[in-house]
Amino acid sequence: MSASSSTAQPTATAQPASPPAGPATGSAPVRRSRVDLLPYLLIAPVMIFIALLALVPAVTTVVQSFFRVDALDPPTRFDGFGNFVRLAGDKALLGSIGNTVFYVVVGVALSTIIGIGAAVVLQKPFRGRSLVIAVLILPWALPGAVGGVLWTGIFDPNAGLINSVLSTLHLSDGNAVLLGQNRLLTITLIELVQVWQIAPLSVLLILAVLQLIPDELYEAAQIDGCTPWSAFLRITLPLARPGIAVTMVQAVIATLNVFDQPYVLNGAANTGASVTMQTYFISFQDLDFGGGYALSLLITLVTLVISLGVIRLVYRRVEL
Amino acid sequence: MLRIRRRTGTRITPPRRRTALIAGLTGLALVLAGCGDGGNGQAGGGSTQTSGVTITVALASDPPPKAALEAFTKQTGITVNWVNLDWDSLQNKISAAATANTYFADATNVDWSRVGQLGKLGWYFPMEDYVDTAAMEADVPQLASFKSDGHVVGIPYDASIMVTTVNTEMFQKAGVNPAPKTMDEYTNALRTIKSKGVVQYPLNIPFAAAEGLSTYWYEATNAFGGSVLDKDGKPQFATPDTAGYKAAQWMVDALKSGLVPPGNINVTDSQGQQTLMAKGVVASTFSDYSGTVGTLYGIKASSSVVGKVKYIKTPGVSGPAANLSNPDGIGIPKKAKYPNAAAKFIEWFTATEQQADFSGVNGPDKTMPGYPLPSHLSAVKQMTAKGNLIGGADLEPMLEGSKPVFEGGAPAWYPKFSNAVYTNLHAAATGSMSVEQAMKAISDTATQLASGS
Repeated sequence: MSASSSTAQPTATAQPASPPAGPATGSAPVRRSRVDLLPYLLIAPVMIFIALLALVPAVTTVVQSFFRVDALDPPTRFDGFGNFVRLAGDKALLGSIGNTVFYVVVGVALSTIIGIGAAVVLQKPFRGRSLVIAVLILPWALPGAVGGVLWTGIFDPNAGLINSVLSTLHLSDGNAVLLGQNRLLTITLIELVQVWQIAPLSVLLILAVLQLIPDELYEAAQIDGCTPWSAFLRITLPLARPGIAVTMVQAVIATLNVFDQPYVLNGAANTGASVTMQTYFISFQDLDFGGGYALSLLITLVTLVISLGVIRLVYRRVEL
Repeated sequence: MLRIRRRTGTRITPPRRRTALIAGLTGLALVLAGCGDGGNGQAGGGSTQTSGVTITVALASDPPPKAALEAFTKQTGITVNWVNLDWDSLQNKISAAATANTYFADATNVDWSRVGQLGKLGWYFPMEDYVDTAAMEADVPQLASFKSDGHVVGIPYDASIMVTTVNTEMFQKAGVNPAPKTMDEYTNALRTIKSKGVVQYPLNIPFAAAEGLSTYWYEATNAFGGSVLDKDGKPQFATPDTAGYKAAQWMVDALKSGLVPPGNINVTDSQGQQTLMAKGVVASTFSDYSGTVGTLYGIKASSSVVGKVKYIKTPGVSGPAANLSNPDGIGIPKKAKYPNAAAKFIEWFTATEQQADFSGVNGPDKTMPGYPLPSHLSAVKQMTAKGNLIGGADLEPMLEGSKPVFEGGAPAWYPKFSNAVYTNLHAAATGSMSVEQAMKAISDTATQLASGS
């Protein structure tokens, strides 16, 4: 076998593109009699990882959300919708829903607008563009908590940068309270910090899509007398919709699950608390894991529904 | 041609399949290995071995000097793997590991405020089974804060107490007594400092919705002659004539009347110490932490008020009030791999001689970075005698007379209660609710939690 194989191989290698000879030789067509396990084996480790790290916890969350899992009130027992009923009466949670709605609406809108604007600016090559992109991505690369700590120093009411500047310009006495006093101002500033962190990814995602748009389209539009603004509305925006949809979905996920920024900047105060923070308090402070599971499940479902809604509204298949 | 293709196929495919099979099986093996417990078979088993083992110690603190740990290893054969985690992360890890019934560390932080919860949950070994806690009691007054249902959940390794600090220079500049004995004297002194323009905002109260606000209120409540909860965990602050209510009103009034910087609405305890008290922006912190004069206000690199800040006896209703304790302890989780070895370490770590070393009594080489105050009175006495404890003469009697925050020990539901305290007090300070509403909200939460519903 080895001798005949070694003589046959060069022939096969030399004519790799030859069409199948078919039944001309009188043999039956070649058929694979066994399932090819190769692809399955190759993806098996990843699938097992996903199953263990995502699916199992997800299923556990769904199941346990219908159980009373309270370390201070054992044993674990079936509770029907008990966890959900208790959540409905949790004043702190209800207060944080309003904040979270604000984070999602403002965060998704702002990060998308900034993403589109910056991507359009970066669409055409210019000197130093790579450097701009590298600098742009820095806030996104920072962990949320680190970004929060950085901005804590800027917003600090007693020794912060903003108050120092305002005081130097004689615009205030240097004791302006930025976070914690006024709810709207607090959640606005918190969300601006989050947008500062998530917008770079939006820019990159949309930029990637914009770079697929052929220049010929813009040239043709220009010859037809199209203004830059019309070209943006009629060429750029429609063709960027897949990228914008992905950007918006990632912004929905980030803002609905915001934790680091409000927690670091404003502590546990109701003026800025998010729904995800309540999951943390319920699970790890109160040790009511059943309530935590139920709230996590609700957050996941809401994220899913809003994301699907965004995709349905914004996403369009584009063929270039 | 077909023949060749078939032959080629039969020749090439087996090695590819073999490679793929090996790759797949290797991947599976890696996954399964990753999911295993490492195969030591001891997690949760609790070996009684006390020599030739490595234990993990998880505290929210820098480790003791390397030489000290090496000496311990030489003496006992136990190697210490020190894990320094921030306090909040540490509490999460303790809860997550215990709930998941898995090993996390052999000895961990046991904060006084978690004693009730940990005691009820039974996540820690009773320390009296490992250490002679009865003999320790006289010299470690704060041991009382670590008892739950008659069991010692952890051994205090420091003796932090809540104290009042004043910038004596500012008080003297305003011509007021730098050591007021009652809350009225203290408040009037602060008003005078403000009215004479010594500083714009003389008092530091950290109003950020965080644990520091709760402890400040407990100390203020104690100063107004009461306690927050009774022995059964029932709230004692619902009506305006109670100490807790008066303390909350005093704190909020201080902010509204301009004694406290308006920006303190979002300032935490440590921020207030570092950016206000240490920088001479305010004249006093009513509920400060013992040790700050020596470790923060007295350090040139971090303070502009070196030598000007001192501890005073905490003002009370008709005279100085007792100080509340705020100590850190160390205990052994039930899932520890080597509980006996951990106990040996705890005995060593909390011993008088060791604490004296950590506090710097025997030279800087033996000092443990950031170590606040020994839990053994005898170690504090050594420090005071050798002049190592800044403000030691003031602190020593305060430590001796200190008392736990809660008469009946920290309740099992303390974290939820504290959350209600700081979020509602913060809301009262912002003006989004009145003090009355805040007290009612906290009281309702406490009543509900105490009743177990």
